[in-house]
Amino acid sequence: MKGAVSIALAAASCLSMIAALFMVFVYAPTEAEQGIVQRIFYFHLPCAWVAFLSFGIVAVAGALYLWLGHRIWDDLSYAAAELGMLFCTLVLVTGSIWAKPIWGTWWTWDSRLTTTFILWLLYGGYLLLRAFGEDNQEIARYAAVLGIIGVLDVPVIIISVRLWRTIHPAVLLTRQGEHGLQDPRMVAALLVSLGAFTLVFVWLLWLRLSTLRLRARIGGLRKELALLEVAGAGARR
Amino acid sequence: MLEGFGPIVRKDLRLELRSGESTVALLSLSTLILVVMVLVFGPGGARRAEVAAGALWLALIFAGTMGSTRALVAERETGCIRALLLSPVEPGTIYAAKLSVAMIFMAEAGAGVLLILVLFFNLEFGRALLSLIPVFLLGILGLAALCTLLATVSGRVRGGAMLLPVLVVPLFIPALIAGSKASAAVLSGQPLGSVITWIKLLCAFDVLFVAAGYLLFEHVILED
Amino acid sequence: MADVLLQAQRVAKFFGDRPVLHALDFSARGGEAAVIVGRNGVGKSTLIRVLCGLARPSAGRLLLFGREPTTLAAPEFRRIGVLLHQTLLYPNLSARENLEFYSRIFGIVDCAAHALRWLERVGLSRAAEQPVTALSRGMEQRLAIARAMLADPDLILLDEPFAALDADGAALVTALIREALARSAAVIFTAHSPLEIMGVDLGLFKLEGGALSPFKEDGRRGPLRSLLRRL
Repeated sequence: MKGAVSIALAAASCLSMIAALFMVFVYAPTEAEQGIVQRIFYFHLPCAWVAFLSFGIVAVAGALYLWLGHRIWDDLSYAAAELGMLFCTLVLVTGSIWAKPIWGTWWTWDSRLTTTFILWLLYGGYLLLRAFGEDNQEIARYAAVLGIIGVLDVPVIIISVRLWRTIHPAVLLTRQGEHGLQDPRMVAALLVSLGAFTLVFVWLLWLRLSTLRLRARIGGLRKELALLEVAGAGARR
Repeated sequence: MLEGFGPIVRKDLRLELRSGESTVALLSLSTLILVVMVLVFGPGGARRAEVAAGALWLALIFAGTMGSTRALVAERETGCIRALLLSPVEPGTIYAAKLSVAMIFMAEAGAGVLLILVLFFNLEFGRALLSLIPVFLLGILGLAALCTLLATVSGRVRGGAMLLPVLVVPLFIPALIAGSKASAAVLSGQPLGSVITWIKLLCAFDVLFVAAGYLLFEHVILED
Repeated sequence: MADVLLQAQRVAKFFGDRPVLHALDFSARGGEAAVIVGRNGVGKSTLIRVLCGLARPSAGRLLLFGREPTTLAAPEFRRIGVLLHQTLLYPNLSARENLEFYSRIFGIVDCAAHALRWLERVGLSRAAEQPVTALSRGMEQRLAIARAMLADPDLILLDEPFAALDADGAALVTALIREALARSAAVIFTAHSPLEIMGVDLGLFKLEGGALSPFKEDGRRGPLRSLLRRL
């Protein structure tokens, strides 16, 4: 069963990614103003979508762990955090690659990119907490609380950064052509890419979760072994 | 429901009155940060209000996070938090009490910082400074809410003292933006009414995280 | 028959992968007293922390007053008195201030008088205004015991109460235990060597290898008897 799901997800991800690559590089027309570089957007936006989705999963899974207590929710939370960090980094990198040829700077402080950067910091904090607290028994609960606080903060961050941008127009570089995707073929390419990235994300999440579940199982077996040893030693006495 | 709130707050204030540790730490750290800011950016100039506001919030954030760690770790070291857990006092009430104490410490340090700001940046006592106070108080409430919750976590994790700012600062960014922008505007003479949007944002931030802290505190304070 | 105040059913406690306690079955009724004996480091303190509800069991169930500790209403914690390895006293407050604070926390009316009464009860009246840091280890222990008992709890758990106490101190603690039993409280405490209390039917248990078992005396009464402390 687990093997079948894994294979199905792998196949779906690969196929959809191939389709997406075709759509992005062949099917969608070149954008008039920005040229070929604009195609990065078809990867940039889906990565952002995954990064934010993943953070939501971190928080919801954390909340479920606090409520239900079952370890699997904590493993899901951790897996989502690791992947979310990866995709968030990709958003920032693709954003940078996109910015340089178009606007001449490596970084634009536009509101969406800034919000994503702050999300990246939130991910970083979460993963650092996990790393430092590895040998702590209660780290799962602490991480869950941090995740919930983080996700509550995201809407406030979005609003505040947007307001902040309206005060600093000097550095403003409007991202035209972003939602002004004129050609329906571009929209189609974007949608396919979104789907492909989501599938890849789910597949990777599944893989990572399986690994963490295995680790939990090994921990459980170790505990059973230790109990048997103790019981055996007691019987011998 | 809030039984035990008063005794805990009074106890912490009494302890602080005797040792003065937290106040000294907060004030000295804040002062140093302000000195650096003045030396680097210069005390005068057209952007005086902005630099002063920036210095204020910078001092606040780092002194605040340091101060919170001390206040909570002290309780943990003597194990007294266990005594509170085994008492009729609810975890939420402990949170409210710790939050209030943290706010009082930060406000105390803040008053000192404001005085130094006036001196260093040649600000005038007057309406601008008075308008600054509500903005400042709203800011430290949000910071105290986050710090009280997360310092409990960082205090139990190795390397925690360094970890707390890393956790708190990104979370605090919305309030930082709102607070510093409102402060800069107010210090350059604008009335409070003009920054009402920022103030609303600060209020929303505070309500959100005080409530969240109150509800989530029991998950971080319980023993293993 | 008095109420069962505490019940541990197959309780286990792990630190990481290491089991400190396992398959623990234990119960205590009102008016009963038990001492748990074990070497240093065997897990007596962990046991007390689990039994008072402070540390959650890794497996099994703990019932306090017939309910899980997480479902207890806040006021019910008044009925539990605990002495831990850490004294749970604020070092920079005086003895009296400590007891007053805890009296207030436990909802006792007229805390000031109550604190003074308890200070006298444990023989610390003269040291009332001294900060805890200035007290000797034995005095600190007496104060900690006063802190544990000041709300007249029904369930009393003491981790090595006789440590650091002189003969007077030991007599005091014994008297307090007798009083508690007389008002149908349950008293459970730990010690590192077996002891008995005159006039008290003390259940003797041994904690070894993570398991709790009744302390069996071996056939040769002579040497064992001489090990017993009589209180």
